[in-house]
This record gives sequence, C-alpha cells and structure tokens, in this order.
Amino acid sequence: MLCYARFRDRLGSLTNGSGKLPDKIIEVRDVDFSRGNRTIFRNLNLTIERGQVTAIMGPSGTGKTTLLQLITRQLRPDRGQVLVDGVDIATLSQAQLYQLRQRFGVLFQNGALLTDMSVFENVAFPIREHTRLPDSLIRHVVLTKLHAVGLRGAADLMPSQLSGGMARRVALARAIAMDPDILLYDEPFVGLDPISMGVIVKLVGQLNDALDITSIVVSHDVHDVAAVADFSYVIADGDVAASGTPEELRNTSSELVKQFMHGLPDGPVGFHYDAPDYAEQLLGTRSDSR
Amino acid sequence: MFRDIYVTFHGFLQNFGAMCLFLARLVQYTPSVLIKRYSLVTYQVYNAGALSIVIIMVSGLFVGGVLGLQAYSNLERFNAEDTTGIFAGFALIKEIGPVITALLFAGRAGTSLASEIGLMKATDQLSAMEMMAVDPLRYVAVPRFLGGVISMPLLTAVFTTVGLLGAHLVAVELLGVDVGAYWQQLQSALDMEDVYEGIIKSVVFGIIASLMAVWEGYNSVPTAEGVGRATTRTVVITAIAVLVFDFMITAWIL
Ligand SMILES: Nc1ncnc2c1ncn2[C@@H]1O[C@H](COP(=O)(O)OP(=O)(O)OP(=O)(O)O)[C@@H](O)[C@H]1O
Ligand SMILES: [Mg+2]
Repeated sequence: MLCYARFRDRLGSLTNGSGKLPDKIIEVRDVDFSRGNRTIFRNLNLTIERGQVTAIMGPSGTGKTTLLQLITRQLRPDRGQVLVDGVDIATLSQAQLYQLRQRFGVLFQNGALLTDMSVFENVAFPIREHTRLPDSLIRHVVLTKLHAVGLRGAADLMPSQLSGGMARRVALARAIAMDPDILLYDEPFVGLDPISMGVIVKLVGQLNDALDITSIVVSHDVHDVAAVADFSYVIADGDVAASGTPEELRNTSSELVKQFMHGLPDGPVGFHYDAPDYAEQLLGTRSDSR
Repeated sequence: MFRDIYVTFHGFLQNFGAMCLFLARLVQYTPSVLIKRYSLVTYQVYNAGALSIVIIMVSGLFVGGVLGLQAYSNLERFNAEDTTGIFAGFALIKEIGPVITALLFAGRAGTSLASEIGLMKATDQLSAMEMMAVDPLRYVAVPRFLGGVISMPLLTAVFTTVGLLGAHLVAVELLGVDVGAYWQQLQSALDMEDVYEGIIKSVVFGIIASLMAVWEGYNSVPTAEGVGRATTRTVVITAIAVLVFDFMITAWIL
C-alpha cells in the first residue's frame, strides 16, 4: 500500500514536467565549506547518478559526514550549490525542504535512534509522522523492515538494550521505513560482524535494484565498498582526489589512491591532523606551542 | 577593560535576542502542538510536574513549619500569636511559594529537561528527526516547554497548600495557637489580589524556568561536557532570573 502510493508518486513525477528526469540525481557544484578557520572543502564538484550505488571514500576527518550534511542541507555551503533533481536546495523553504527530506533515508554514523522509544516505535516513527495508515498496516510495514535487517525478534527492546551493530541495523530499518528514493549511509559497515555485514552489503544492493533507489555509501573500508559500489569518489584535502569504478580505482596510477586503497602508512595523505612542526613543538622553540 | 565589558555586554545582548526569538517560535508553534500533539504535552506535564510533586510537598511541609515557628516566636512577644496564620500565609502565597517552587523546579525538572535535550542533540537524535522531516522544535522543545509552563502554577499551588498545613501543624498542634484564630485571621486578612500576585508570579516563573531549560538543552555543545555545562547553567540562570523577576513583579504590584 505504502509502496503503491510511492510508486504512483514516482509515476506522477516521471510523467509531468519535462517528461524525463535528469540522470544526475545529486550534483555538488563548486562547493566551498569551512568550519571555523579550518577549510574542509575547496571547490568540490561531484555528481551522483540516479539508480546507482555511489561510494564516498576518504581518510578519517576529511569531511565525508560533512558532505552528507551538505547534501541534506543540515549545513549550507559557504559558496557553490547543491542540486537535487536539478533544484538548488538552498532555495527551498522549510516546508519544501521537509518534503524533499521525506525522499531521503539517512543512516547516521552512530545510529541516532530515539532513546525513549522501543525498536518497533523507532521504525514506526517516520510512518506515523507522515502517513495516516491504520495500526495493523504500520505493524506490518515495520515488521517487514525489521525482518529485512534480521531484527524482527528485537522489536520490543529499547535502544539501550542493543549492541552497537544491532542499533545500526535498526537505524537502517528506520531509514528505509518510508521507502526513500535516496539512501545515505554513513559508515554502515563499522562495528558489524562479518555475517551482519554480508547481510547489509546484500541489502544495500537489493534495495538499490528492487526499489530503484539511489544510494550513497560513506566508508573507509575499501573492500566492502567495492562489493556494492557502481562508482566511487575518493575525497582528500578538500577535493575529489580520484573517482571511477572500483576496478579503475584499484588499477590507478595515482599515488594517493594507491596509498588509500592498499592502506599504506606512508604516502601523500598525511595521517596527522594539521599541526606545527613536531620537532619544533617538542623543543618548545615556537612561541605558540603548548 | 572597557573593550572587555563591551564584548561581554554585546555577547549578552546577542544571546538574549536569540533567546527571545526562540521563545517567539515556541509560542508560535504552541497552538498547533496543543491540537496535534497534545499527548506529548500531557506526558511532559507528567514528566515535569507529577514527578516533582514529592520533592515539592516535602519542601513545602518543612518551609511551612519553619514559617510557623518564626512567626510564632516573634509574634508571641507582642501577644499577637493569633496572627501567626496571617504572617505565614502571606509569606507563602505571595513570595515563598512561587519562588521556592521555581527554584526546586529548576533543580528537579529543569536539569532533567536540559540534559535530556542536550543528550538528544549530542547523539544526533535531533538531526535524525530533522532528516525524517519532523521538526524537533515542535516534537521535542515545545511539548517540554508547555509541560513546564502548565506544571509550575499547579506545583506552586501544591507547595503553598502543604506549606499552610505545615505552619498549621507547628503553630496550632505544637505551639497551641487557637485553630479558629489561625484560619479566621488569615481568611479575613487575605484579599484576592494577594492570591493573584502569587499566581502571576508562578506563571512568569514557569515560563522562565521552562524556557531556560529548553533553551540551554537545545543550544548545548553536543558533547558530554557540553551537556553537563548546560544543566549547570540552567539552574544558575533560572535561579538568578527568578529572583530578579520576583523583585520586579513585587515592585510593580505594590
Ligand atoms: N561540529 C563541528 N565543529 C567543528 N569542526 C567539526 C565539527 N564536526 C566535524 N568537524 C571537523 O570537520 C572535519 C570533517 O569531519 P567529518 O565528520 O565530516 O569527517 P569524516 O570524513 O566523516 O570522518 P570519519 O571517517 O572519522 O567519520 C574534521 O576535521 C572535524 O575536525
Ligand atoms: Mg564521519
């Protein structure tokens, strides 16, 4: 029923207007962004193709989570635009933004389950907020989603009774509760055992194929991403350092990508957060050293 | 030094302005929340109000008792111990009831509201709501604010009533003031205006205490440390604001 409604919506949006939707569902154009005086992105450009699984990779702290926040307008870029279906999201009113966000499903890095509700209510929350479905139907949808992540048996637990990996799977069930068009996964594979990880990897692929969803997967685990991604971006130093299919990236000649893909400690990517010279700081010869 | 004062003052004004805007938005959303999400509001009345009743009643009993003792021991010197009821009653209804209830409320309910909201922020729950197209201001902030605003006058009434009983216990049962004199004197001396003063104060303090708790939680730094600081600030700022407003309201009414 829910699926049907969304299918009809989608048909509607396909047939009105110019007829065909652009292949680029999300486009990030010339974006600058800084937090305080730390520049995170400088002139960032990337596009996400409709119906594909796109991976965003990069070392810790390069701004992958920040990029997701820019795409969903939790943050606004200092310069440049983020387009979703060709519309600059900075121009949307709050009501329009909320309408757009109903098309997004977001899996937060730490799950972000609502702590005062049971697992069942967490998954039911977006459905209750945005539809007027009867309880029996909501129950049906919620149990289906929980079953997909293998946690139908945990429906009555509270979030505090879940392990980290279980919480993330519940969060995934909640993210797909409204059958979104675009799924954003922030580090979906961290802290999962190999079996659940296999399940999630398979689920990401299935959702994408079966429901024609566009997925963006943020991860630093190159091998897991390679299993699901159609296309990857590697972000480093505020810009796209490399892009391509997983095979292309594996066979790349770029030093930086090689270092990242093969996990080498030495190379162009600095392991350290920006810092004054180590020796100088230890010897206390710099006036601003602590 | 003048520069420091200027910067501090400027920051204070900015903060104050932002808080007024926040209050305006809370009030703006109040009607729709009351209609569409009244169950959240009732739950928050329970959470902030009903759960504070025990501490309010115990404190009320002892504060009333102390007032009875003090009033009696002073009035006795002028052979006016029959007016103990007036003394204790006026103090409770006009000043001590609203003020102490507000301070206790800040300590019991205010801190828990601020830390709850701060924790929701620190664990991305507020962002998650925004991403599910649910406005956390309407879902989290307004119901908690309203819960506090509704609870405070009720709690004040409970505190004052129990306080009068406490004073009665000490003065009448313990020290032997005539029971008829105690209540009769109070009743004839007390005007409706005095009761209104207490009610006005309790409503104003309710708005202050709830606003501070929700504001501090909502704007806390989203870390464990930030949440801790927000809870402390809630109590400190509420206490100061309540005492300042108490003075201003009293001065305005008299
Ligand atoms: N709220 C914040 N205020 C200031 N700086 C922040 C904030 N959040 C993140 N940062 C900074 O922004 C940079 C990018 O953070 P982000 O969370 O996007 O990294 P990430 O790529 O997701 O890292 P990870 O893989 O570890 O999750 C980091 O260097 C961090 O120091
Ligand atoms: Mg991250």
